[in-house]
Amino acid sequence: MIDPVILQQGSDWRAQAEVFDEIFFVFLALGTLVGTIVVAYTLWNVYKYRDDGNRSDEEFDAPVVGELPTGQGGPKAKKLFLSFGLSAIVVISLVVYAYGLLLYVEQGPDTGAEGDIEIMVEGYQYGWAYEYPNGHTERGELIVPADQRVDLNITSRDVWHNFGSSDLRIKSDAIPGDYSETWFAVSSEDVEAQGGEATYRVECFELCGPGHSQMKGQITVLPQDEWEQWYNSTGNSSESASIQAPGAGLAAPSGVSA
Amino acid sequence: MSGLPPTTSVKRWFVTTNHKDIGILYTITALFFLLFGGVMALLIRLQLWDPTSQILSGLAYNEAVTAHGLIMVFWFLSPFAFGFANYFVPLQIGADDLAFPRLNALSYWLYLGSGLLLAVSFFQGGTLSAGWTIYAPLNVPMYTPSIGSTGAVLALAMFVTGTTASTVNFLTSIHHSRAEGMGIMDMPMFTWSMLATVWMMLFAFAALLAVGLILAADRVLGSVYFSATEGGSLLWGHLFWFFGHPEVYIVFFPALGVMLELFQTFSGRRLVGRKWVIISICLISVQSFLVWMHHMFLTTINLEIKTLMMATTIGISLPFDLVVFALIYTLIKGRIQFTTPFLFAFGALLLFILGGITGVFLGAIVLDYEFRGTYWVVAHFHYVMFGGATALFGGAYYWFPKITGKMYDEFLGKLHFVIFFIGFNAVYFSMFLGWETPRRVFEYNPEFQIYHQFGTIGAFVLGFSFFIMFYNFAKSYVSGDPAGDNPWDYSRTAEWAVSSPPPLENWPDRPSYASGKLEFVKDYVPDGGPAMKTDDNGDVATDGGDSHSAHISEYPYWDKPPSHASIWPFALSLALGVTLFGFSGFADAVTVELGETAMQSNVVVSNAMYPIAIVAGLVGLLYTGVKWGLEDFYAPPSEFAERWPFNGVEKVKLGMWFFLASDVIVFGAFLSAAIFVRYNAGWMTWSPLTESLPGLINTFVLITSSFTVILALVAARRKSRQGLLATLGTTILLGFTFMAIKLWEWNHEIFDRGVTISANAHGDPIQASIYYVTTGLHGIHVLLGLVIAIFLFVRAYQGHYLDDERPIEYFGLYWHFVDIVWVFIFPLFYLF
Repeated sequence: MIDPVILQQGSDWRAQAEVFDEIFFVFLALGTLVGTIVVAYTLWNVYKYRDDGNRSDEEFDAPVVGELPTGQGGPKAKKLFLSFGLSAIVVISLVVYAYGLLLYVEQGPDTGAEGDIEIMVEGYQYGWAYEYPNGHTERGELIVPADQRVDLNITSRDVWHNFGSSDLRIKSDAIPGDYSETWFAVSSEDVEAQGGEATYRVECFELCGPGHSQMKGQITVLPQDEWEQWYNSTGNSSESASIQAPGAGLAAPSGVSA
Repeated sequence: MSGLPPTTSVKRWFVTTNHKDIGILYTITALFFLLFGGVMALLIRLQLWDPTSQILSGLAYNEAVTAHGLIMVFWFLSPFAFGFANYFVPLQIGADDLAFPRLNALSYWLYLGSGLLLAVSFFQGGTLSAGWTIYAPLNVPMYTPSIGSTGAVLALAMFVTGTTASTVNFLTSIHHSRAEGMGIMDMPMFTWSMLATVWMMLFAFAALLAVGLILAADRVLGSVYFSATEGGSLLWGHLFWFFGHPEVYIVFFPALGVMLELFQTFSGRRLVGRKWVIISICLISVQSFLVWMHHMFLTTINLEIKTLMMATTIGISLPFDLVVFALIYTLIKGRIQFTTPFLFAFGALLLFILGGITGVFLGAIVLDYEFRGTYWVVAHFHYVMFGGATALFGGAYYWFPKITGKMYDEFLGKLHFVIFFIGFNAVYFSMFLGWETPRRVFEYNPEFQIYHQFGTIGAFVLGFSFFIMFYNFAKSYVSGDPAGDNPWDYSRTAEWAVSSPPPLENWPDRPSYASGKLEFVKDYVPDGGPAMKTDDNGDVATDGGDSHSAHISEYPYWDKPPSHASIWPFALSLALGVTLFGFSGFADAVTVELGETAMQSNVVVSNAMYPIAIVAGLVGLLYTGVKWGLEDFYAPPSEFAERWPFNGVEKVKLGMWFFLASDVIVFGAFLSAAIFVRYNAGWMTWSPLTESLPGLINTFVLITSSFTVILALVAARRKSRQGLLATLGTTILLGFTFMAIKLWEWNHEIFDRGVTISANAHGDPIQASIYYVTTGLHGIHVLLGLVIAIFLFVRAYQGHYLDDERPIEYFGLYWHFVDIVWVFIFPLFYLF
């Protein structure tokens, strides 16, 4: 088994988006290559062996109606297994390679001294509610600090949703009565690049009712200090006290009709 | 011809049981549903034209998405393929017809009826809007309350019922009626693909039937399976995808079979690595049941299982590699004729290669995490499923001359292909480019608008191309050139050895491959049968080689002509359709107000139409069922046939075994659901709702009735009418005893203990639902068995079954099966 620790030596970590982009690129490159070779080879042969009326009858054993198949193996079985073997090697090595990175994605990067922040996400028709460790709840917008690993614990209040942000390449099912997990982290460089406040689109990726198309949200990433300032101010005005059972502290959304 | 009217008569098409007629009916009906589903697709594409403006409401859009998926997958793709299978599998294996012609007609009428039920559901307050995957709990009435949603679910259940009948029929036919000398490895590749398809269908559709019945119970009777937070959502996911993944191959394999045939016919070459292709097809069929959780990678399945599912997913792609290469190598050194059928088959291969490569992407879990719920998935499965179906259109052109006797227009056919191929790639390749768009979302990121607009144009081009085909077929049918028996230079299979269209009973004499190639031989049939083989001079062959099974020579109706017409398949389907229509509105129209006892309870009917439909439908079912049983319909078994691996098993018995195998999966799914939910709720937190004594008594009652049904068979064999009546009568009494105890038990649960199908005074409501629904399904089986037993009893009283005791034996098989199921239900619901 490939050790995921190799991928994140020191304090370096890789966002899911980076991991995805790397694998996607490798698959796309190899897929295009293999596809082009196979399709080009096929087209060339189909052209070469087209019936143009001037082929010699030697070596051509025309089938007749009512014959039983003979020679089940066929003359080209060797070639068949060679191509099969090659394609098997390509496919299996691709997946083994991707599997190594899966282990990293599943585990997430080391958080070091910073620690991570764990946020409950609850989907409802049609929006997302977030609950922070201090009991503060937020609706629609998830506000998190840069340079810190954010762990999401995702469930649903009503039907099956799917919480996802294409920009961050994160996604997880939101299933009533069940808790799925994913994580993400945004570096302060990225936040700087977006002008001191990075925003990412959140969409629902599982059909959840007539309002599915409108079930949008946003992840906002603030620099560490700004976020802490904001977070500390939330402690006082918190809507509900504490996280007991997962998701239990979330109040019903107001103004949302079922 | 036993009263089969000519093809010009409308009546013929209602009563025919001939496989070729039914094949035509399937094909035409499927093309109608292609248009129906196509209109839905164009509505979707129009909505996607502009992410900021809408022509459909959110709900209407979801209905269009759902109906498009359901219609294309269930009411178009498979039935279109089964049209060809109906017509050509019996011809390719050298049979006169399918094994059970009336059952075949029933399958068709259930298919059409279910489609009409689905169409009606649009007018019952809107059809289902939960997507074709019908995820829970969006599929329960709390979130999709319309009557039409229930109607669509019941339509699906009816469709699956017809499919199961068809599956049993094809399995029995292919395993029982192959012409002498055609070993299982000698079957044409289209027939091989269909065999693999129906084997997968036998188990996969049983799972769908089970999950559909549970959903129907939730929607009609008020059980709470899929709204339960004790794993209700995941239960749907597991059961649906256990069906859903094999379904991909069920849809694809017939198309693959057409490709395998057409590549050979239009290159003049024999399939390369034929044996390995067949082995691959068999491997895929088995493996298809071991990959379903790759549709659920983002649920809470743990890493170990995900890894296992990733490995099996990659594993299933490998046999496909081999098949693709075999197809390509078959063309090499051939004389490839670019006819319309070949172009479609070849186009299908190219599209499938692209679909396959993009599928490998989805096999890598990290990529799947991001592709989940996006247009990448939509594009991928359209390339695979619709790309495969491209070959089916090739099949339509290929077999059109055989079916109609006329040649299609080659130029229009090629034009159709070119426009089709361009349109196809425009609509589906653009989906890859805009893949980050979430599925079933129309207010998407405007960045991707250009791709979606391109796709919309492609969709209209694609849709238009089919009208060229319709025009071509209509024109050629009326005024095409005569095609002759065999318009293709290099065809091999037996359908090309008979006239176009083939005669009613297919063959001039008995087809045989005993000499290594197709020959028509004349048998000698003495008075009172059975037939005997003759040698070259027409004398009876006396030396060995007779493949008669014992049951063939014992068959008492030797010189009877086969039947080809029956109205009861149509009538029975109509009755079932009316019944299910009634049930679709049952929950809304009928309210039960429970009192202290059953006598004090009230039934309030707010809309009499639905309960009346239920009663009328049930009466109709009973009436048509009895008429079916009484009808003198004769479908002779093949006299000399290859039957591996079921040599010596009588035809109807074989069919019965296949049916029971699928019923095992139905009950298996119900019991798995019970175990899955209980595990999620905490196994030890549940204790039986019921007392164990009534269950124990019922166990003894049922086991005793299994013995009496064996005694009934013995009595019939001994030709003892009194013994038969006494033992059958005892079986019936025991069955009623079982039902009476069951009734008492339910009454006790409901009125003394406060346990109803949706409420439980002693624990989780889902526990009560599972108890009622599972034991209820078993109870329905017992009840059905009792109906049959009473039918047999009356007939035995009239003196039947003493010469031919097989109906008693096969009823016994069913009855034993129902008893065995109880042995599993009893500990789960009464002991632990």
